[in-house]
Amino acid sequence: MRAPALRYDLRRDAGDPVRVTVPRGATQRLRLPDNEAKTRLVAAVLTARVAANEDLELFGKPVRGLGRAERAGLHDRIGVLTQAMGLISNLNAWENISLPAAYHGTRPIARIAKTARDAAAALGADPQRFLARLPDEMDPFERKLTAFLRLLAKEPALAVIDGLAEGLDREQSARAARFEAEYRARQPEGTLLFVDLAEEDLP
Amino acid sequence: MIRALREVEGGLRLLMHFWLRMPALRRPPVRESFLRQVYFTGVTASTGVVLRASGLGALIIAFTMQILDADTSLAVKILLWVVLREVGPLAAAMVVILRTGTAVSAELAMMRITGQMDALRRMGIESYDYLVVPRVAGIMLATAALTCYIQFLAVLGGMILSPFVIQASFTELYTRFFELVAPIDFVYSIVKSLMFGCAIALTCCYHGLNPPAFTLNGVPQAVTRAVTASAVAVLTINAVFAYLVFGVLFFGLVKAVVCAPRRCATTCGATRATRCA
Repeated sequence: MRAPALRYDLRRDAGDPVRVTVPRGATQRLRLPDNEAKTRLVAAVLTARVAANEDLELFGKPVRGLGRAERAGLHDRIGVLTQAMGLISNLNAWENISLPAAYHGTRPIARIAKTARDAAAALGADPQRFLARLPDEMDPFERKLTAFLRLLAKEPALAVIDGLAEGLDREQSARAARFEAEYRARQPEGTLLFVDLAEEDLP
Repeated sequence: MIRALREVEGGLRLLMHFWLRMPALRRPPVRESFLRQVYFTGVTASTGVVLRASGLGALIIAFTMQILDADTSLAVKILLWVVLREVGPLAAAMVVILRTGTAVSAELAMMRITGQMDALRRMGIESYDYLVVPRVAGIMLATAALTCYIQFLAVLGGMILSPFVIQASFTELYTRFFELVAPIDFVYSIVKSLMFGCAIALTCCYHGLNPPAFTLNGVPQAVTRAVTASAVAVLTINAVFAYLVFGVLFFGLVKAVVCAPRRCATTCGATRATRCA
């Protein structure tokens, strides 16, 4: 049996412990009890580092004590869409999407351009206009879409999306719900994890 | 004082990083950022300096001939020394500080404050390679180019406009200029402008990357510090460079006393002279 894509364990003095297991190839919606648990899970996956009271395994490999090269190898297989989104303000949408691949020279830019155009069109944006916009000129959905397309460009085996609908109105949330289908269409074997707060903890 | 020393140390660290990490310019996004910097600093600034630079040359010639009652030869000499060696690089440096220095420090401070540097790090992008290296290289190159442009316009403008205000023909000024000009004048000003560009870029990058406060209020403070420190750095380099190359500080107000031993031995008799009598 294959190891799960993600296994996370958070032990806490105050508050319930958090245990998460996500099988490979699955799409899972995770509702965590509080903001601390959510933030720590996302940060642990994002950095592939854990604190003393946490354990994290990615693709069956514990991240504690990983070397630099192994950690970099893990980073290549993981994409995280955080709430901050991490867009660079002086780059337009296309430059933001292609920046990591262009910098590292890991994936052909033509392929990324095709993915970005097709996915943007499928998600209801006009690729020509949308890809030329700066983050400051975008609405919240377009900013999220840019960050999502950058994640798609990475072709990650494990994608984590933190607070998909946060900051979006109803119509934008409905469009963002199609992210799953777009990811699945490009990564049929990939693992997709949506992380949110439990309903009662939402502000 | 401690802050000033820390700034100098930070600037030197950035210089070292720039020097060692220059091959990062081979990466396409870094190269693109470099070209964008050259365009912004050099090309977009060039239109604004046309009138000012040509007026500057005419002013210097007219001022020298009318007020100092100089002949054409002295006026051209002053045009050469003042415009080519001093005012050209200084004027370009001031344009770069006011246009690019402010923009770079504000942009980097904003990126630092809003967490974009962390975002770059998470993408596996070495933030200094992506942000500092192309800016320093671009500003250096653009400052040198802008200096040449200002010098060209000032000299040409001076020669074209001067016959309207003084008793000297264009041909006369032109002939005298090419008799007196030497390659060293250009080499001197280019080397100096490269140093100015480097100092401005490093200072502005340093202040942008280290804003005094991690709130939006930190941005204008970082810009103010960057502009002030850049101006001080440029004037210091100008004085030290003039002293080292020509042995003359502050346009000749303080004469250098260092001279070659052979010459000293013949003029004042000292055997191992480092100072003339």
